[in-house]
Amino acid sequence: MKIIVTVKLVPDTNADKRIDPGTKRLVRTGVENVLNPFDEYAIEAALQLREKRNDGSTVTIFTMAPESGKEIVRKALAMGADDAVMLSDPKLEGSDIAGTAHAMAAALKKTGFDLILCGTQSTDAITGEVPGFLAEVLGVPGLTYVRKLDSDGTTINAQRETDLGYVDVSVATPALVSVTKAINEPRYPSLKGIMGAKKKEIKMFSLADVDFTRAAGSDGAKTELLELATPPARQKGRVVNAADGTEGAGAIFDFLREKKLL
Amino acid sequence: MRDVIVFIEQRAGAPRRVSLELATKAQDLATALGGKTHGVVAGAGASQAAEATKAFGLGTLHVAEGGVTAEYLIDPLVDALEAAAKAAGPALILVPNTMIGRDVGSRVAARLDAGITSDATDVTVANGKVSTVSPKLGGLTITTCAFKNTEYGVVSVRPNVFAAKPAASPTSSLETLTLPAKKYGMKMGAEVEEAAPELGVEEASTVVSGGRGLGGPEPFTTLIKPLAEALGGAVGASRAAVDAGWIPHAHQVGQTGKTISPSLYIAVGISGAIQHKVGMRTAGTIVAINKDANVPIADFADLLVVGDLFQIIPELTKRVEAEKVH
Ligand SMILES: Cc1cc2nc3c(=O)[nH]c(=O)nc-3n(C[C@H](O)[C@H](O)[C@H](O)COP(=O)(O)OP(=O)(O)OC[C@H]3O[C@@H](n4cnc5c(N)ncnc54)[C@H](O)[C@@H]3O)c2cc1C
Ligand SMILES: Cc1cc2nc3c(=O)[nH]c(=O)nc-3n(C[C@H](O)[C@H](O)[C@H](O)COP(=O)(O)OP(=O)(O)OC[C@H]3O[C@@H](n4cnc5c(N)ncnc54)[C@H](O)[C@@H]3O)c2cc1C
Repeated sequence: MKIIVTVKLVPDTNADKRIDPGTKRLVRTGVENVLNPFDEYAIEAALQLREKRNDGSTVTIFTMAPESGKEIVRKALAMGADDAVMLSDPKLEGSDIAGTAHAMAAALKKTGFDLILCGTQSTDAITGEVPGFLAEVLGVPGLTYVRKLDSDGTTINAQRETDLGYVDVSVATPALVSVTKAINEPRYPSLKGIMGAKKKEIKMFSLADVDFTRAAGSDGAKTELLELATPPARQKGRVVNAADGTEGAGAIFDFLREKKLL
Repeated sequence: MRDVIVFIEQRAGAPRRVSLELATKAQDLATALGGKTHGVVAGAGASQAAEATKAFGLGTLHVAEGGVTAEYLIDPLVDALEAAAKAAGPALILVPNTMIGRDVGSRVAARLDAGITSDATDVTVANGKVSTVSPKLGGLTITTCAFKNTEYGVVSVRPNVFAAKPAASPTSSLETLTLPAKKYGMKMGAEVEEAAPELGVEEASTVVSGGRGLGGPEPFTTLIKPLAEALGGAVGASRAAVDAGWIPHAHQVGQTGKTISPSLYIAVGISGAIQHKVGMRTAGTIVAINKDANVPIADFADLLVVGDLFQIIPELTKRVEAEKVH
């Protein structure tokens, strides 16, 4: 099977100060980009499937990002993926969900695939809308929120989470699946993996290399960002040292009453 | 002029509250846009769910039930919403920001070549232009987005930000949507319920969450759940508690869990790490109980009670329950 894992580069959540209060813009410089944590579960799921099938199945990492994102792609390769494809083009700046999905689809049609694995959501825009949109654009079944996955090569058998439990789903390949963190525990790259990743191929695509006929980036976007504001920081509130349970409970009870929350 | 279409998510004939919130909100938006309102209800139990939705005043309810709708989770819902949208013409489409709502929203947006904005906490109309407000980057920034180059705009809306109110005049027009008898690529089994149906953290207006400070799974049942129930709320958890296997992932609040905006958030034995904070920082009021006064949550809780949770919670539950009797 040809398995593709889509990964997004996101600013590290631990870097807490990411909005410039003057320009009200995202501070990108000096902020470390990381592999979207949700995508590590998708990579792990792909590697496990490849190992289990043991039939020459391959795992390719795919990202749409500026060329500087190569470093993070290496981390995904170090986990054990075979190779990577990057779609990188200055024209893609300002892409929204629709534009991202269409551009990704154009590149993925070029690479070909039996199975596309995505994370549930990113940690920056956190929309969780790319997988469904991308599946529609590619015209393949899109199965989201999967926590168990197996395949005989032509059919995907999976468990999809629901609000109350799960449903079993089967679908023929080619298909797109997004996975949740309940699916596995992502492995750490081994030293051998890290060394090996340096030699693996990262194939670069620009828009000219793929069949993309829409207006790209902000020109083609269906949404526009009108404002980016920093919300007022939450203030430190009241602190009560409770000598015992009665005093602690009383403090909370009175506070909830005062705030009309009871 | 533009119509407003609401996707009514339902389970076995009961509409989800968030959809009713959207139905109420849709009427103001449609007035501002000079259009009509519609609801789309599909799947097994759709007719019953439509009956329950009538009170919320949407102009027309489009109902798709029977045949293929019962056997598949997502595809027929997408077909139903797409059909209703194409019949209505240029429209603003509201879907709940839930697992099902996000899927339906993104796929309908793709089919209608529409823009989509996500996890909105407000939707406004000025001079015929729709804009939506969403907390992003874990609430560290608030984005305001509008639609361009598109006839349709899809917005996924966070539960609990609008009130659901029965309308003065209920829906009088019910229309049957007939979906093509097509074969879908996905075969679904029946849903297996793992937990008793309880209020999810995304929809609850009060969430009581437990963390590593609970020390094990039992206090979720003996302490957290009774307090949540007394307050009419839901049970949440930190990742540490989920990773320890004390409570299922569906309850996790935070970066790799759910992002929620309840009116009241009570954090019990949770330190308030940044990855937890980004999931709950937009709560109306935050109360924390922790034995350590120097935890990160001290910097953003509206009230921090420094003390032992095992002593405080049972007392508090008793007092809240006593209050309810009056
Ligand atoms: C603060 C902020 C707010 C935004 N608001 C909107 C908005 O309201 N509407 C809109 O249309 N756009 C919006 N965008 C732009 C949008 O984030 C990008 O178009 C982005 O690529 C879509 O991804 P996501 O973060 O929503 O991904 P999600 O749908 O949350 O990610 C799900 C999965 O899709 C895959 N994936 C996503 N992006 C990529 C990629 N570039 N390369 C490879 N795989 C990927 C990954 O596997 C990921 O785990 C916003 C961006 C930011 C930073
Ligand atoms: C990529 C990534 C994603 C993550 N996503 C999430 C996420 O979605 N959600 C999340 O929550 N975390 C997430 N985390 C983990 C996060 O960094 C913290 O480790 C986690 O939130 C800590 O959980 P906690 O507050 O329950 O535990 P701790 O930090 O151990 O805090 C326990 C608290 O309980 C207090 N306590 C102990 N006993 C008592 C008592 N008897 N009475 C009162 N107080 C007591 C202690 O003083 C302490 O403050 C993520 C981390 C990473 C790296």
